[in-house]
Amino acid sequence: MNNKVYTYDGTYPSLISLICYLFHNNIKPDDIRVDGYNPTLFETTIDLHIEKNEKDIIYILKKYGTHINSFIFKVFLSHDSKRELVIYYFLLNANKYGANVINMRNLRCVCKTLELARYVNNEAHKLKGFVRFQELANHILYAKISPVNDVLPLLSEHFKKRLNSEYWVIDDEGRSLVSIYDKKNYYIIEKSELKMDLENISDDENEISAMWCSFYETIGIKERENHRCRMNFMPKRYWKYMTEMSDECEKGN
Amino acid sequence: MELKDKLRILADSAKYDASCSSSGSNRAFKSGIGSTAIAGICHSFASDGRCISLLKILLTNSCIFDCKYCPNRRSNDIERAMLTATELCNITINFYRRNYIEGLFLSSGIIKNPDYTMERMIEAISMLRNKYHFNGYIHAKAIPGASEELLKKLGLLVDRMSANIELPTDEGLKLLAPNKDSHKVTQIMRYVKKEHSKNFAPAGQSTQMIIGATKESDYDVMLRSSSLYDNYKLKRVFYSAYIPVNKDNTLPTLIKPPLKRENRLYQADWLLRFYGFKVEDLLNNDKPNFNLLVDPKTEWALLHLEEFPKEINKCSYYELLKIPGIGTKSARRIIASRRQFKLDFSDLSRMGVVMKRAKYFITCSDRYMINPQFINRNFIETNLILDEHLKQESNNRYNQLELFHE
Repeated sequence: MNNKVYTYDGTYPSLISLICYLFHNNIKPDDIRVDGYNPTLFETTIDLHIEKNEKDIIYILKKYGTHINSFIFKVFLSHDSKRELVIYYFLLNANKYGANVINMRNLRCVCKTLELARYVNNEAHKLKGFVRFQELANHILYAKISPVNDVLPLLSEHFKKRLNSEYWVIDDEGRSLVSIYDKKNYYIIEKSELKMDLENISDDENEISAMWCSFYETIGIKERENHRCRMNFMPKRYWKYMTEMSDECEKGN
Repeated sequence: MELKDKLRILADSAKYDASCSSSGSNRAFKSGIGSTAIAGICHSFASDGRCISLLKILLTNSCIFDCKYCPNRRSNDIERAMLTATELCNITINFYRRNYIEGLFLSSGIIKNPDYTMERMIEAISMLRNKYHFNGYIHAKAIPGASEELLKKLGLLVDRMSANIELPTDEGLKLLAPNKDSHKVTQIMRYVKKEHSKNFAPAGQSTQMIIGATKESDYDVMLRSSSLYDNYKLKRVFYSAYIPVNKDNTLPTLIKPPLKRENRLYQADWLLRFYGFKVEDLLNNDKPNFNLLVDPKTEWALLHLEEFPKEINKCSYYELLKIPGIGTKSARRIIASRRQFKLDFSDLSRMGVVMKRAKYFITCSDRYMINPQFINRNFIETNLILDEHLKQESNNRYNQLELFHE
């Protein structure tokens, strides 16, 4: 017998609408994937063309509250290939046990939900600190990231509050997505749609990044040097985009 | 002097201050630039592994005092610099916009007199808040001996205000910092405690003690901390392992700063604040110092084996906290989960319990994880110490191979 893989268009509302549809019709999926998924020999893809319905989102939100919904949304942002199925099983158990389900760590889907949500949360929290903006010649602030999980929406929400009077662009290089902020709202779009000169930096950019480098160099206490400890808190994969960890920075000092 | 050089000199003079936390303040949206996060955010980590959250800097490193441990003491022949208010604001805003920092940590050497110094600091910070509309985190050091009027002004501008007690006992302070008076420091603390509100230093106050410069025991240090927490509602006491920057015959000559001791003091500090321990539970006159081989909670548990094993499915929150390997997070998870189902050992490690330590001290549904006849002090202690040694050994032994040799 073939495994049935249900597909959706990759957006959060569509996923929730699809899952609600599956519940209603008592369908148990073997997997849920984004459109364009290549099925293996034992799988058939089924596209139900479910219209995304705001009502489903509101229904889930009202039924389980913001706390549980933020967990579900964070699982959706995770890089895990089974994230949709985790959400399906989590909501299935939530139907059965109500909002208390979040404490039932003996259920595998709950453990997995908490684990994935925590991973997304941690990465977003780390990047809230590690993101480095450069000022471009047109005074727009521009930052590059390439996170494991799709934390761009969470970061955008943070910087919308923090740098609310600046124009900024955050570029997720791994996913070719950019978040642009126009002093009112942020929009997440494909990078190819963005027509903007991102190469020219402003006049005093180099001077300021050099000051930051020299501050970073100075603030460490030689007698306490501990590279392992630094690496624990600030894993190497983030260094690539961090001003103070760049090669130019070391040369400058 | 170029701004870059000033920044280097003044950051170098400020780096020995341990506090860099940006937590405890959650400002709602305002026009201008910046916000604060209740949990605080680390923006980088220095080569010593310490979090860099704030632009930690002195307004000036000129000082009329001559404290023996301090790199900025009057009698030291070092480069001196002073930032103008505009320069400070510009650096802060430019760093903040690029997300280098979470805010500003401003301290200062004492120039002319305490009031004059405080006025210069207030001038700079008020320019940052009012002219540059900066809403990020600001931690300022209050200058001991400044007037209450100035303390009030500063407190209304900053998120956290603090004064360093520097040494655990007054005798130590007299010996090493003859110009400092601990009463002036506690005076500030009393004032901040009285005025503390959501407008006045909303993130509260903290202080710092230098460890290992004078001969105080861990017991002296913890007693002082605990009285500071009780009397002045401090958010944090920071411990800073003494690093010899000056030579003086009253100062000890150390080769390495006592980092392990500092670590033990922080662990004990957490036990006081979040785990319901008292100083007397951990230390006394006969045992004035912590064991450097095992952490303070395990040490306590080994001396009180009669209180164990504790039954995970029954015991209270504070009893759970007494078990080595269980922290506040895992204890809360255990309490929330066991209402839904009976916990077993396999569930515990998934909740973040460190089973390596906890296994000797717990039962799940009356079952032991290891044979109870082995549960004695000697056996557990040797096992834990051995675990620690093996971990360190493997850390040193295995390095990742490089794919391409340079």
